[in-house]
Amino acid sequence: MRVDFEQITDMDYRIKTPILKVENLAISYETRKGDVPAVRDVSFEIRRGETHGIVGESGCGKSTVAFSIVNFLGRNGRIVGGSILFQGQELRGRGEEELRRLRGDQIAMVYQDPMSALNPSLRIGDQLSEVLIVHRNLSKKAAYEKCIDMLKRVYMPDPEAVMLRYPHQLSGGQQQRVVIAMALLNNPALLIMDEPTTALDVTVEAAVLDLIDELRREFDTAIMYISHNLGVIARVSDLVGVMYAGEMVERAAVEEVFLNPLHPYTQGLMRCVPKLGLSKESSYLYPIRGRVPSPAELPPGCIFEPRCDYARPQCQQAHPELREVAPGHFARCHFAEEIAAQKWQPPQDLIPDLAALAARKPEVAEPILRLQQVKTYYEQERKSLASLLGLGQARYVKAVDDVSLEVPRGCTLGVVGESGCGKSTLAKTIVGLEPLTDGRVEFMGFDISVPVSKRDLSLIKELQMVFQNPDSTMNPSFSVGYQIGRPLRRFRGVPRHQVRDEVIRLLEAVKLDASYYDRLPRQLSGGEKQRVGIARAFAARPNLVLCDEPVSSLDVSVQAAVLNLLLEIQQKYGTTMLFIAHDLSVVRFFSDFVAVMYLGKICEIGPAEAIYAPPYHPYTEALLSAVPIPDPSADQKRIRLSGTVPSALHPPSGCRFHTRCPRKIGEICEREIPPCQHVTAEHRIYCHIPLEELRRIEPVVTVK
Amino acid sequence: MVKFIIRRLGFMLLTMFIVSIAIFAISEIAPGNIARNILGPFATPEQEASFLAQLGLDQPLHIRYITWLVGSDWRAERLIGMPLRRIKKPDTEFYEWWAVEPDGTLVRWKLDGEDLIALRLQPDGTVQESLDNERWQTDEAGISTFWGVDTHNRAVMWEKGGGQTYWMRAKAAGWWVEQPGGAREYIPLQKGLLRGDPGESVKTGRPVGDALLRRLQNSILLAAIAFVIVMPLALVLGLLAGLNEGKALDRILSVGGLATTATPNFATGIFLILIFAVWLKWLPGATVFASERAAFENPKMLILPVMTLTLIELGYVLRITRASMVEVMNASYIRTAFLKGLPYWRIVFKHAIRNALMAPITVIMLHVNWLMGGIVVVEAIFGFPGLGRYLLDAALYKDVFAIEAGAMVMVMLAVGTQLVADIIYTFLNPRIRYA
Amino acid sequence: MAVSEKVMPSISARPSFWLRLRDALAPLLASKVALVGLALVLFWVLVAIFAPFLTPYSPREQDADAMNLGPSAGHPLGTDHLGRDLWSRLVYGSRLILVLAPLSVLCSLAVGTTLGLLAGYFGGLIDEVVMRLLDAMMAFPAVLLYLIIIAAVGASATNVVIAITIAGAPGIARLVRSLTMDIRTRDYIAAAQLRGESPFYIMWVEILPNARGPIIVDAMLRVGYAVFAIGTLGFLGLGLPPPAPDWGSMVCAGRRYIWSNPWAVLWPSLAISSLVVGLNLFADGLREETMRYQ
Ligand SMILES: Nc1ncnc2c1ncn2[C@@H]1O[C@H](COP(=O)(O)OP(=O)(O)OP(=O)(O)O)[C@@H](O)[C@H]1O
Ligand code: SF4
Ligand code: SF4
Ligand SMILES: [Mg+2]
Repeated sequence: MRVDFEQITDMDYRIKTPILKVENLAISYETRKGDVPAVRDVSFEIRRGETHGIVGESGCGKSTVAFSIVNFLGRNGRIVGGSILFQGQELRGRGEEELRRLRGDQIAMVYQDPMSALNPSLRIGDQLSEVLIVHRNLSKKAAYEKCIDMLKRVYMPDPEAVMLRYPHQLSGGQQQRVVIAMALLNNPALLIMDEPTTALDVTVEAAVLDLIDELRREFDTAIMYISHNLGVIARVSDLVGVMYAGEMVERAAVEEVFLNPLHPYTQGLMRCVPKLGLSKESSYLYPIRGRVPSPAELPPGCIFEPRCDYARPQCQQAHPELREVAPGHFARCHFAEEIAAQKWQPPQDLIPDLAALAARKPEVAEPILRLQQVKTYYEQERKSLASLLGLGQARYVKAVDDVSLEVPRGCTLGVVGESGCGKSTLAKTIVGLEPLTDGRVEFMGFDISVPVSKRDLSLIKELQMVFQNPDSTMNPSFSVGYQIGRPLRRFRGVPRHQVRDEVIRLLEAVKLDASYYDRLPRQLSGGEKQRVGIARAFAARPNLVLCDEPVSSLDVSVQAAVLNLLLEIQQKYGTTMLFIAHDLSVVRFFSDFVAVMYLGKICEIGPAEAIYAPPYHPYTEALLSAVPIPDPSADQKRIRLSGTVPSALHPPSGCRFHTRCPRKIGEICEREIPPCQHVTAEHRIYCHIPLEELRRIEPVVTVK
Repeated sequence: MVKFIIRRLGFMLLTMFIVSIAIFAISEIAPGNIARNILGPFATPEQEASFLAQLGLDQPLHIRYITWLVGSDWRAERLIGMPLRRIKKPDTEFYEWWAVEPDGTLVRWKLDGEDLIALRLQPDGTVQESLDNERWQTDEAGISTFWGVDTHNRAVMWEKGGGQTYWMRAKAAGWWVEQPGGAREYIPLQKGLLRGDPGESVKTGRPVGDALLRRLQNSILLAAIAFVIVMPLALVLGLLAGLNEGKALDRILSVGGLATTATPNFATGIFLILIFAVWLKWLPGATVFASERAAFENPKMLILPVMTLTLIELGYVLRITRASMVEVMNASYIRTAFLKGLPYWRIVFKHAIRNALMAPITVIMLHVNWLMGGIVVVEAIFGFPGLGRYLLDAALYKDVFAIEAGAMVMVMLAVGTQLVADIIYTFLNPRIRYA
Repeated sequence: MAVSEKVMPSISARPSFWLRLRDALAPLLASKVALVGLALVLFWVLVAIFAPFLTPYSPREQDADAMNLGPSAGHPLGTDHLGRDLWSRLVYGSRLILVLAPLSVLCSLAVGTTLGLLAGYFGGLIDEVVMRLLDAMMAFPAVLLYLIIIAAVGASATNVVIAITIAGAPGIARLVRSLTMDIRTRDYIAAAQLRGESPFYIMWVEILPNARGPIIVDAMLRVGYAVFAIGTLGFLGLGLPPPAPDWGSMVCAGRRYIWSNPWAVLWPSLAISSLVVGLNLFADGLREETMRYQ
């Protein structure tokens, strides 16, 4: 059923007929506990040259929709209703062989985690060219040439050589380019992209997003773009569909969705994400209460009803349809018009918190933590025989190299940087989980430059940590109560019979109730585990808490709740914090001071508001221009870094950033370590460019 | 990659070294047992001690280890002051040690009463005896000593004149005689394992090395036939089962595979004998070869042992291959291949099989250990004259040198195949090849 | 708000014992293969427990008038070359093997777990040394190790257990080591270190319980291997000394009379096969199901 586009010349037809039209799609998974209706009543259409974004929190059925289009739902998935029209023809019920001819030819797909998407034991060239060989019957040589052309078009450096490499010899960004090139080889009518940039760093992500946008225009392809990241969706989409618990709850043009959301859930999402440039003093995140219902236990009426601020009795009975509320703007809510007219008021229970948070203003106090020229090197595992015998030169990964900083008591220092820049290592060094190679760490006036096993228990108590991964932060074998109680007993000598009460008090402090005491970690959701982790860290009433990406693996609505919680507890106990994250908006929102790291070194450090405005370090500027902003009207300068982060094993000489710096001023950058320039007493920039010149740089982001 | 292989080789040598110490230590823990085993329960303690001394078992452990590993002739040469040479006795499998006189004549000695008699090997193969008492060296106390080579391949320090008598056990005859002069110290002459001479069997007195070699050939023949049958069969069946994950074919193959692998080897053998030999009378139930080299004489006798080995290995390899195939077919890159619209069989052959075979090949090679266990048992069941049976007999008889040498050979084979497995793996896996 | 109540997953705080038992058994009951295995194993366990009630004969009672008989009313499975009742020897043999096999697995678990935890947790030199030693041990074909050990120390129940412990411990140590190295990187271990917990506490309390799943499945398979090994040793004449009703030794002894009395080798072979296959099916079914649950 190949539709040959060259033969369809009628422009009207091309414009009027959507490439993909999905109507009332319903998909179920068979499980042991019965059928799970993962997707219900999803409709949307995509035209030529259009990008349709689909956004939603994890588990809401985005990928299921994507895979249903190519009918690749795994063994237990089934389309149970609706229709999928591709170029006007029904795809449902087609034979496997017909679908196979479509896949990779007319419909191509790119999904998350490029590394595992490529076959590790075949050369890139073979994996690319076979698409052409199979679908176009090209000769091997012709196919190779076309592949090299395509690699050039996705800006792959040195495509001839890449064709001969194996996937593991490419970086993550390059792999993703290969996968995208593979998808575009046959000039497909429809390109489905499922979180294609989620595994990538912001700077790489920005480049890949640019590429996608350019290719869409050039190839005039219809793109279905799936992401959980509102910022990414805002950047790439023309139309956006918002999914919640298996249903599409709102659909409209991108500006409409972001600037004028009609559905309470969409509105809630917008209020959850910190905007770049907003801080905790000037704004507040309003989490959506409750949690996403599992598709097996859906509420009977409106599925959002249990969490909706506008819910009325009618919402419990009647299931709303997706209807056109304004021209071209669809929403699945009984009262969309009314809600649109109202101004949103924060619910009653949040208002007192707001007042308290607005009142806070940490006065700058004496530093509680001071790092002086801290270096943490990992010895590279040496595999040669000679080195086993102790000969040969040891090689080091300089994960943290010569970092000096201070954190004032009661303040929060945010640390940002791309993956592998040494953020986590810095935190681990401070708490003593990694031995210091050189330098000095001082805490409350004590020298703590020794590993944790050699520290005094009273010092250990003062330094606690909140971890990134909710699934590994708790020991799966022990109950919540035991895990929070253990530090209580060790550090505060709370007597056995009082531990339970104290634990319950802590649970309440993190907004969990006493019934959680006996639960095992597998009975908790990600956000709840993170809360327990926070309760455990604060149980000892530490003076300094290090948070290593505490919210980056959480969904946005949960992320907001956890951030609020951290703020509140910090307020209550007057704790100092080191907050590590890769999301610049979150760091800006949360921190008083920010340090920007690149390859183990600090490039810029200073008060949060100063970092996000000129003068910038060139790296900070590049980072800021790469952040996806969930606001389609925002104007962002376009600075793209070339190449990839060099290996920390052989860091570049001079300024570590010189291999990618768009503002590199010359050979001096390669030769000399950049000097520390003080913008103010607290704001330092490490760069050879004179301050006056840096000051003249325009702001990266301007919100209209 | 060369580096990788060199590194593996290094580890292999290290492993072999540790293994050799372990084998040596374990098997020499209780040497008293050997003496009793051979001398019978009525030997006196002196006789036992003398016996042990003649075998060199009275030496400290580390000396014995060195002797075993690199031989003792170089030590004896220094004491005797003449070079020593090992020659093969014509028309037998025995070896003889001789000292070499400056003119090249081979000589050794024996003690007759108090007289030292030199035996010189003539070019025509005969031995000429002559009195050789001038070699005695007498000290102030009137004790005369002499280091030489005796007729039982030992370096011996003979002694006389101390007023003592010596218990001698004539090795061939087996009785004990009391003599005025005799041997005080023995160094059994041996070239050592590393120089291809692991010693003599305590039980038969024959050199272990030659017997081992013959047995090994038989065993390898058996294993090779089984391997040639098992591998293609098991890999194909495993891939088929993996492609049909969860379906009836898969169920039958994997449960069947589990059952055949789990059944103890000897039980499998017994079942096959009962069915094919005892009840159906189609095949002989044991391998009785006229000589140890006659594996080909009666190929029918090989059928049952090979079948037993095949059954033992088939299920294991099949299940590993299946598991690997299932894993690969669920991998992301296979999903990519499907989404590229490739035909099913192209996906299977081009994308899946190579990755799916990577795991089994290493695991199967590591399984060689298991296979050797199987071979010991199969050889025991069918009386097949192979390495396994040799070892078993040696173990039952506590034939120390035979156990040690056999064990070393087996471990060497096991470690060697692991090395080969590693190398194959690096060839299959570009991630290592281009690391 | 009855509706919103329903939305929350219904997890009671303290699930009752029976519920938890049902949860624990669910994977087992779901797999037919595991059930068949369990049935085979249970059969032999019950036989071992009720041995004296199942047979009138003692396993060592010789009857010169009833040598090498086939199955008959008096001797349901026949007799061996010394006129001993085969059924009663099988029955009492099951006691022997069902004690020795788990015992040797427990011993190797103790040794292997300790080594694996130490190597995996501390890494570095300790790991290197332990692993090199274990590599050397693993280079031995198991049967060879048994042969050498038994040849050196002689055949007896204790020595059989020792031999199997030594042969089994390296495998367990490797498994525990790799699990430990994986679990060691989890954040809750870092959290424990940040409480200043001792390495001992972290290894045994924080790490080991989380490694138990794979260890239990592995141990189950190892009981199978142990039965296998004890049988093989017996068959090779290196097992328990003669009068003991050891299944492997029964096959060994009966083999000489295989032409005249196949029953004497058939029954013990069948017995040991059914037990080992049962154990394997059970462990394998369990592993598949637990994997599917994750
Ligand atoms: N245990 C280790 N051994 C060797 N190198 C390591 C180790 N841990 C980290 N590294 C290296 O140190 C550098 C910094 O790592 P680190 O984990 O601190 O980065 P990060 O900024 O936290 O990254 P991410 O955002 O991905 O968590 C990287 O090059 C990393 O590969
Ligand atoms: S239908 Fe009712 S519950 Fe659902 S979103 Fe609209 S107002 Fe809220
Ligand atoms: S020192 Fe040079 S290379 Fe480094 S950031 Fe400044 S301008 Fe760029
Ligand atoms: Mg990190």
